[in-house]
Amino acid sequence: MISKVKKGKFYPYGIHVKDNKQLCREKPIELMPAPEIVKISLSQHIGAPAIPVVNVNDCVVIGQLIGKANGAVSANVYSSVCGVVTAIEDISNDLGQKQTYIVIKNNFTDTQKTFDDQVDLSSSQSIIERIKLAGIVGLGGAGFPTAVKLSPKSPLDTLIINGAECEPYLNCDFRLMIEKTQEIYNGIGLVAKALNLSNVIIGIEENKPEAIKAFEKYDDLQVVALKKQYPMGSEKHLIYCTTGRKVPTGKMPFDVGVCVQNIKTMIACYEAVELNLPLTHIVMTVSGRGIVEPKNLKVAIGTPFEDIVNFCGGLKDKTAKLVAGGPMMGKALIGLNQFARKTDSGILALLNEEISFSQPTNCINCATCAKNCPMRLMPMYIESFTLAGDYLNAEKYGAMDCISCGSCAYNCPAKRPLVQSINMAKLKIREMKNNGK
Amino acid sequence: MANNKLLTFSSSPHIKNPRTTRQIMMHVCIALLPISIMAVVYFGLPALFIILVSLISAVLAEYIYLLITGKTTKEILAQFDCSSCVTGILIALTLGPKTPLYIPVLASAFAIVVVKMLFGGTGNNLVNPAITGRVFAFMSFTSILANAFVAPSINSLVGGNTFSATTGATTLTGIFTDGNLPTLSNLDLLLGTGLAGCIGETCKVALLIGALYLAIVGIINIGYPILCVVVTGLMTVCLNGFNFEYFLPSILSGGLILGAFFMATDYTTSPNTTLGNIIYFALLGLLTAVLRQATGIETFSFILLLMNITVPLLDKFILPKPFGYKKSKQGGAKK
Repeated sequence: MISKVKKGKFYPYGIHVKDNKQLCREKPIELMPAPEIVKISLSQHIGAPAIPVVNVNDCVVIGQLIGKANGAVSANVYSSVCGVVTAIEDISNDLGQKQTYIVIKNNFTDTQKTFDDQVDLSSSQSIIERIKLAGIVGLGGAGFPTAVKLSPKSPLDTLIINGAECEPYLNCDFRLMIEKTQEIYNGIGLVAKALNLSNVIIGIEENKPEAIKAFEKYDDLQVVALKKQYPMGSEKHLIYCTTGRKVPTGKMPFDVGVCVQNIKTMIACYEAVELNLPLTHIVMTVSGRGIVEPKNLKVAIGTPFEDIVNFCGGLKDKTAKLVAGGPMMGKALIGLNQFARKTDSGILALLNEEISFSQPTNCINCATCAKNCPMRLMPMYIESFTLAGDYLNAEKYGAMDCISCGSCAYNCPAKRPLVQSINMAKLKIREMKNNGK
Repeated sequence: MANNKLLTFSSSPHIKNPRTTRQIMMHVCIALLPISIMAVVYFGLPALFIILVSLISAVLAEYIYLLITGKTTKEILAQFDCSSCVTGILIALTLGPKTPLYIPVLASAFAIVVVKMLFGGTGNNLVNPAITGRVFAFMSFTSILANAFVAPSINSLVGGNTFSATTGATTLTGIFTDGNLPTLSNLDLLLGTGLAGCIGETCKVALLIGALYLAIVGIINIGYPILCVVVTGLMTVCLNGFNFEYFLPSILSGGLILGAFFMATDYTTSPNTTLGNIIYFALLGLLTAVLRQATGIETFSFILLLMNITVPLLDKFILPKPFGYKKSKQGGAKK
């Protein structure tokens, strides 16, 4: 198959955001030296938390199993430093949700444990087993265990790699695409073998021409140049713009025969299967005008955010907001006392002029939110029903189909917190369904 | 952490487009500047006084109402969006130049307090405040408004009818019931030279410049008012024996252009979907043409009021399908 770069389909809904990626776009990924203490969460994935298999005062090495997957939808957790386990404690995140963390004090030695056997690269089953063993989850942010995603109920025919990276400020996927092109390609090959398919597409936004060029040379990989638009990295829209298939409301990509994977997940799969390395490090972008020196970093899982930010020169005095993730869908932080997880892809420190913090005013029914919504919903109705407590009507107007991308609230002239209301509606509707309504 | 300032903690998205409601209303005020200037050029100081009085009454009406309901001046200033300015200017533009000044005061106060504030403030009004204020003035002071049109022409009918300055004979009625086209050329109708009428309805070029400005800054979709205006013209042509000579005069006469471009495109009282808007503006144009023919006066304000009331119905039943929507085979269509 001649790999000519195809243009992605045009999808008229969504928004244009200033991407501010130039703050660290040209900076190569730096390996951050391991910190003194790491705190590794046992539930960095969707599904049941892992069960600790080490005790306090145990000595561990890099790549040693410290948390075992609990059930089918769960993931293993590995140590990212050599040292001594000093505690196994519960820590709350900024929203008050508690998780169990294993605290390890680094002794700054270099012993690395790898997997013992070689994987039979011709067997899909062995590849999936190794991915499961290595504790790999969706590193794009969702954290769904990859081994489960690679064992769907019905056979698939297309693998789509998400190289869109539509969130502003973040550059980690882009830097990986140009620095580790061959590793990504190898990982893609392994996953395609695991799924027993040969139709592989990689979708890359047009604002990353170097990445498009880097992948052009592979014959069996179709590169699709996507229009720069938010949220082009959303699963359903990526599938539509690369293949033309629409995922029906309420269904998953495997229902249209497609599997979508993130760039970082592909590298992790390659390292696990061919280099026998478990998942111990992640790549993230530290950016925003509130950081003295924005960088793209490879950090050990469990590194404190404070250490990461200090490695980038620290925060400027005028920092107004701290965000974990991208600015459109990331979570705000109240401080830097969180610890790097598998699914973190960014820490942002934003100044006053970059964020918006006006108080909401009346909805003027301008329908800008409805015009921008990529899922074609009516966010102003969902919000007004949610605020009135009428969750049934909120569901009728599409609350459960919302992907929480933030396109509605981005352009709202009344600065209404639409995503907040819709997320609450989703929570309440799920609760109602669980209570058997 | 080297940071002594407080951090903001709120839900995503954390970056937003800086445009606010106040900025949108300011753009509309700027778009109404050309026509306001032309109104003063054609009709002199009386027009200026009407515009200023109406503007100030609208803003004061909102301020006093909010004070009465218990807000402090500081709060009122903080949440002042210029929507009352827009209402004030629009009401002024629909009055004749000899209108006594108490009429714009009453009309603006009525529009702001009864139509907007009593229903819940900006965004909660059912009908367009400017158009309702105008209809209120028309109903309450019919004969006074009728005599408010300036010499040299005599205008015995209310509502933006345009007359030839020299002969004083041809009316909007003339077009539709007698079958006579106006004696003013289309160019005169367009520029408003020699036209007697409401101060904001004469110079169409200024109105169109304002409308174009709004379209360029992305506040209105210019297709919809153009649809309305074209439908009016075509319907008039149909009702007059398919004579295309009636197309331009019918569009350029009366308050159609001011109403269609500035009042019908108001966010709060127009539908939220593309199909809804197409139906709304097309019906607006159609009914205006039909009722003009039947009654011989400018009926745009009444038709707009009528269509405003149908908007909740249009919004309830016309909804876009979500991305990937498939009707489920069991017969229960999933919304």
